[in-house]
Amino acid sequence: MASLIWLWAFSVTLTLIPSVFGNSEGDALYTLRRSLTDPDNVFQSWDPTLVNPCTWFHVSCDQDNRVTRVDLGNSNLSGHLVPELGKLEHLQYLELYKNNIQGTIPTELGNLKNLISLDLYNNNISGTIPPSLGKLKSLVFLRLNDNRLTGPIPRELSGISSLKVVDVSNNDLCGTIPTSGPFDHIPLNNFENNLRLEGPELVGLASYDTNCS
Amino acid sequence: MQNASVNSLISSYLKNKISIFTYHDNYVNSTNRLGGPIPQEVGNLSKLTFLDLSYNNFSGNIPPEISLLKSLYWISLNRNQFSGHIPQEIGRLSSVSRIYFHENNPSGPVPASIGRLQNLSVLSLNGNGLGGPIPQEVGNLSMLTFLELSFNSFSGNIPSEIGNLSSLSALHIHQNNLTGSIPEEIGMLKSLTRLRLDNNMLSDPIPQQIGMLKSLTVLVLHMNNFSGSIPTSLGNLTRLSELSFFDNHLSGPIPPTINNLTRLEKLQLSNNRLTGQLPENVCRDGLLTYFAARNNILTGQIPLSLRNCISLYRVRLQGNQLTGNISEAFGIYPNLDYIELSDNKFYGELSPNWGQCPKLASLKISNNNISGEIPLELGQATQLHEIDLSSNHLNGEIPKEFGRLTSLLDLLLNGNKLSGKIPIEIEMLSNLKHLNLASNNLSGDIPDQLGDCFKLIQLNLSRNQIGERIPSTISNIYALEALDLSHNLLIGEIPRLGRLQNLELLNLSHNMLSGFIPSSFDDWQSLRVVDISYNLLEGPLPDRKAFHDAPFDGYRNNKGLCGNATGLIPCDPIPTNQPRRRKGNRSLVILIVLPLLGTLVLLFILVGGFLILFRRIWKRKPREEQSQDIFAIWGYDGEILYQSIIEATESFSSNYCIGSGGYGNVYRVVLPTGREVAVKKLHQSEDRMSINLKALKVKFVLWQI
Repeated sequence: MASLIWLWAFSVTLTLIPSVFGNSEGDALYTLRRSLTDPDNVFQSWDPTLVNPCTWFHVSCDQDNRVTRVDLGNSNLSGHLVPELGKLEHLQYLELYKNNIQGTIPTELGNLKNLISLDLYNNNISGTIPPSLGKLKSLVFLRLNDNRLTGPIPRELSGISSLKVVDVSNNDLCGTIPTSGPFDHIPLNNFENNLRLEGPELVGLASYDTNCS
Repeated sequence: MQNASVNSLISSYLKNKISIFTYHDNYVNSTNRLGGPIPQEVGNLSKLTFLDLSYNNFSGNIPPEISLLKSLYWISLNRNQFSGHIPQEIGRLSSVSRIYFHENNPSGPVPASIGRLQNLSVLSLNGNGLGGPIPQEVGNLSMLTFLELSFNSFSGNIPSEIGNLSSLSALHIHQNNLTGSIPEEIGMLKSLTRLRLDNNMLSDPIPQQIGMLKSLTVLVLHMNNFSGSIPTSLGNLTRLSELSFFDNHLSGPIPPTINNLTRLEKLQLSNNRLTGQLPENVCRDGLLTYFAARNNILTGQIPLSLRNCISLYRVRLQGNQLTGNISEAFGIYPNLDYIELSDNKFYGELSPNWGQCPKLASLKISNNNISGEIPLELGQATQLHEIDLSSNHLNGEIPKEFGRLTSLLDLLLNGNKLSGKIPIEIEMLSNLKHLNLASNNLSGDIPDQLGDCFKLIQLNLSRNQIGERIPSTISNIYALEALDLSHNLLIGEIPRLGRLQNLELLNLSHNMLSGFIPSSFDDWQSLRVVDISYNLLEGPLPDRKAFHDAPFDGYRNNKGLCGNATGLIPCDPIPTNQPRRRKGNRSLVILIVLPLLGTLVLLFILVGGFLILFRRIWKRKPREEQSQDIFAIWGYDGEILYQSIIEATESFSSNYCIGSGGYGNVYRVVLPTGREVAVKKLHQSEDRMSINLKALKVKFVLWQI
């Protein structure tokens, strides 16, 4: 009996190591690490016991030790993105291009109110472009090309006046191409190779349904 | 499983008078979790001594009936979703020794009745949403060994009654909202081995009484508002292995008594206002792994004992006024992963010893007074990911041995006196993300091999004496965001650099670049800031918003740029998006423009004469073809055409003259293509008949026969 109790005691004390490590941004990034497969060991330096992630490779911080850049382009990663990425409130550049990332774009990315560049191009990402990305009021570059995205281009993106570059080519998007706001200077070939994309929207008095959802 | 099943479990347990009730499943993705609230029937389990329902999905309040479990010795409810307040009836569990309630969602205060649990040895409430003050009644828990209250929202002061916990071994109240000072009574905790108060808003000086905690191994006070000096009594804590005071407002010197702490493995004092020197005997017994004192006002030299500190793993001493000769201060470290000594006053030369640190991943010694050459032995430390030696007085060449550092992500050597060429071995650094060699004395060319560093995000070679052409292989660096080649001796044309779709900043100013700006600039959708000033560029400014937004200073002082921008002449109406022309540029313009104008004027006048000739000789041809033919003749081959006309008419010999009029003579010309045309050569002043391609004074009217 006593030995049984001590066995439980041992197992329970192990659970006393808290699941958070004191820095929520480090935790969020560490959650990303756990959901990606990393054959090239790019996450080798991602030590969660450090007080913040600012000395981790491929992570940059500002003077207040808040994460401003995640540079994981072309790193042979697979797996999927995590909603915890939305907690990086000071993130400006999220560079995950040219990997083999699957799954969907988490809607929580819409919380990254300081985001300037969202580069998810050349991956295997599926699902729709979340309309919550329309909340990214600092966004300048949105490159989602060369994935397997479906559904419409959310109209909410037209509300981002800072948006300069949108590239959604080589996906499986449907519906029409927005033409208002920032979209009036986006060249049409940034939308090419989406077989079900019908061309620029026709803005008029009657709304029409393009059977795209 | 449902609530009902828990009830049936309870009844079956009751029947059998079992004293241990446990159901938990640690497996992360378990689907066997129990859920719902704990039924109040649990109070009937009067013989229960051991209850473990951890790692389930239980929710709702802890039923006050739990207080009926008079025999309960051990209760584990951690890792569930219990909410509500901890019932004050908990004070009735007089036998309970261990309460594990961490990582749930309760709120509210810890009830004062907790102080009645005379047998309580472990109280684990971390990772909850508990708030309010820590009840002073906690001081009554004379058997308490482990008090774990971290990751909550406790506020107010640490009660001085805490000092009564004579059995306490671990006190963890980190990551809360505590204010005020550490009570002096803390010195009474004779059994204390671990004290963690980090991440709160505690203030005032750290009390000297801390030095009474002779059993202490871990003392963590970082990220608070502690002020004053580090108490000298800390030197009495000879068992201390971890001392962490970073991110406070501590001032004054590091007490020399710290030298007595020979068991120290982690010493972290960064981000304070500490003065004086680093403790001389730190790492005397070779146990120190983490040593950080960055961003203080420390002076003096690196302690001698650090030279042979082979246990070193991570060192951060940047942002101080440390000095001394860096060649002698450090040794060879088999475990060293990270060392940052930037922003100090070290002098001397870099030791080749750094190359013998097999695990060294980050070497940062920027902004010091380091001199001498970069040791080529550094190329042996193949784990290096970051090298920052910028802003020093380094001379000599960039070692070609750096080609072995294939893990390198950042190579920052800017602001030195490095000379020689960029080594072609740079092609091996395929992981390089940031390359900054600016402000040196580098010469030679930009090697083509730089294109093999295809993951570069920033490339800065500015302020050197780098010459020759910009290699077109830079187009392989497809994700380049910033390219600065300014203030060099670059010549030739800007190559077509392909689809650099991430390029935001481009600075090519202060070079000797010539020719036209390539049309590929139009593809660079991300370009925000551009500077091509002080070159020899000509032709139109690209139609990019970055250029339209650029101030005049961004393109000034070139040879012949044109466009719709301040300070530039508008471009010629004829598109000049052409291949290079060396000599005949000017004459080509005249050859085309003048005859065209002349044609238009004279056609009106001569149309009458034409019609007469027309009826006599003309073969029927469709009009479009005719006009096309005329314009085709007017194209780029104007020069060649002119030559052919000269040859075919033997320099306008009268043998070929078929007519003359008031304005000039008409000659019959058979072009090399076989086509027959009539060429009217308009009269010039008689004495200027020399045919000079460069100073063309002869005008032509050309039509087809």
